[in-house]
Amino acid sequence: MENTALAPHLILAGLLFALGLAGVLVRRNLLVVYMCLELMLAAATLALVAFSRFNRTMDGAVLVFFVITVAAAEVAVGLALIVALYRRRGTVSSERLDVLRP
Amino acid sequence: MTSPIAEIDLAFKALAPRTSDWTAILPELGVAGLSLFALLQALVIPERLRWLIPATARAGLLLVAVMALTPEVAWTQAVDEPLFGGLLRHNLPMPWVRLVFLSSAFLTSLLAGRFLTARGAGLADYHHVLLVVTAAFMLLVQSDHFVPFFVSLETAAVGLYVLVGYLRRSEASLEAGVKFLVAGGLSSAFLLMGMVLVYGSLGAPGAGDSLAFPVIAKALAAGKGTVLTLAGAAMIVGGAAFKLGAFPFHSWIPDVYQGAPTPTTAYLATASKAAGALALLLIATGPFASLAAKLAPALAGLSLLTLLAGNLAALATSDIKRALALSGVSHAGFLLAAITVAVAKPEATAFGFTSETVVVYYLLAYVVGSFLTLQSLAGVPSAEDHVRPLTSLRGLIRRSPSLTAGLCFGIGSLAGVPPSVGFVTKLLVLALLVQAGLWWVLGAALIGVAVSIHYYFGILREAVARPGDDREETAPLETGAVSRFVITTLSLATLAAGALILL
Repeated sequence: MENTALAPHLILAGLLFALGLAGVLVRRNLLVVYMCLELMLAAATLALVAFSRFNRTMDGAVLVFFVITVAAAEVAVGLALIVALYRRRGTVSSERLDVLRP
Repeated sequence: MTSPIAEIDLAFKALAPRTSDWTAILPELGVAGLSLFALLQALVIPERLRWLIPATARAGLLLVAVMALTPEVAWTQAVDEPLFGGLLRHNLPMPWVRLVFLSSAFLTSLLAGRFLTARGAGLADYHHVLLVVTAAFMLLVQSDHFVPFFVSLETAAVGLYVLVGYLRRSEASLEAGVKFLVAGGLSSAFLLMGMVLVYGSLGAPGAGDSLAFPVIAKALAAGKGTVLTLAGAAMIVGGAAFKLGAFPFHSWIPDVYQGAPTPTTAYLATASKAAGALALLLIATGPFASLAAKLAPALAGLSLLTLLAGNLAALATSDIKRALALSGVSHAGFLLAAITVAVAKPEATAFGFTSETVVVYYLLAYVVGSFLTLQSLAGVPSAEDHVRPLTSLRGLIRRSPSLTAGLCFGIGSLAGVPPSVGFVTKLLVLALLVQAGLWWVLGAALIGVAVSIHYYFGILREAVARPGDDREETAPLETGAVSRFVITTLSLATLAAGALILL
């Protein structure tokens, strides 16, 4: 593991991040949008582990635990909001979110 | 040679928190304790004693505020050294910074009491989450390391999602909650990716913890930054600008502010904006201080566009909450202008105040003006909280002179009418801009002030000069004792605080 190549990991992380961003911007289903947001966090986590390994500093690996915890809390609140919205409106399409407008 | 286990053990002992670390964050511990206490009370208190929950929260917040403001008397000595092994450090004027968050939480609690009870929503959970978010914000602005920075920012963000979507029976509240969730999640992802890039590009075997602000600052000063570092720094600044609501990241602000329950709107406008501004100030002048040559023009451009975009968009809005949200964007522009000066010319002072102090004073003035305006507005009944057209204020001066007076003082301070505190703090920012020679931003700020007079006074004209027509709109309004107390105190504060700052 001494000569772990950094570049492939970073390219993969970059691709996942871009994929997540594209999904957030393009998709209309709120659940899919939310999954794409989590994908972006996972991409950052992958890059973090790769850098931590490559630079031989443990601090990045420690941050990963916090990121996972935060992501779990975000999912708990986020899904609760989306479910509550679904019960109220019967849809999870972001196109139908039109109560608030100028 | 010692074994690896013994080495780790030694390292842990060196980093172990001292008593002075804990006493330095006593106010934060107090607020966190109050939030747990609110939850505990909800479990054991009978229905008719429910009023105790907000009451203890408010009394506790007052106590913590006194403790934060008198560091010499309380144990919270101002410490100018790294805390908790370099995780925290008091880089900002802590007593005033804490006051911004504590006063926002206190006033939000006063606003929420009547508002939530009238809508059948519980007060215990609201106070619990509100206090958790407040404690997280207070820790965020002391961070000296990206781990506490990220964790406290996200704790606050998740709590705010709950507070925005708190009215589960209101479609507007839920919709605002989901929109805030997606916008906030996106900005968090960018912020995290930025941190990772900075961490990775500056790290090297044996180079130290490149998530710590001093280590980053040192590496950047030594010219170790690469393209990746710059990209990371840009993503972090972008993420913080998103939380602050600066152009072009302000698109979520009108919808979320309009749909959120009014107490949450007030809290978002003040505490959340303050956290964004102070976090941006902290990272722009701390770890990224060596990037000033690149950062200053970018921040100046953001500030200029934010000032223009916020004011022009507010001009075209007929809903009061939306107009106040967009005027908040223009206030973010003023804050960005002061932050730009802190980055571009750290030695600049206005009437003897450094740009950091000016940012904090501006925030305090904004807290007073915003809460005064929204407290008065919440007293005007509306069938639905998210529908508040300008015309709903017609004839307010006859229905309730006290609400009208509160609105006049609040909006006057937000608009910057002399001698209000809003005028004094705006003047301080303009003086800073003159010192730093940022003429374009100064021009945009002056245009912004001129434009804002138009829409601010549009709101007042409806309330003062236009009488209501039918019987319902002229019926006198009854205002609660709490509301009258808040309006009187804050009205006096808008007048007195400006003089206090200058003296």
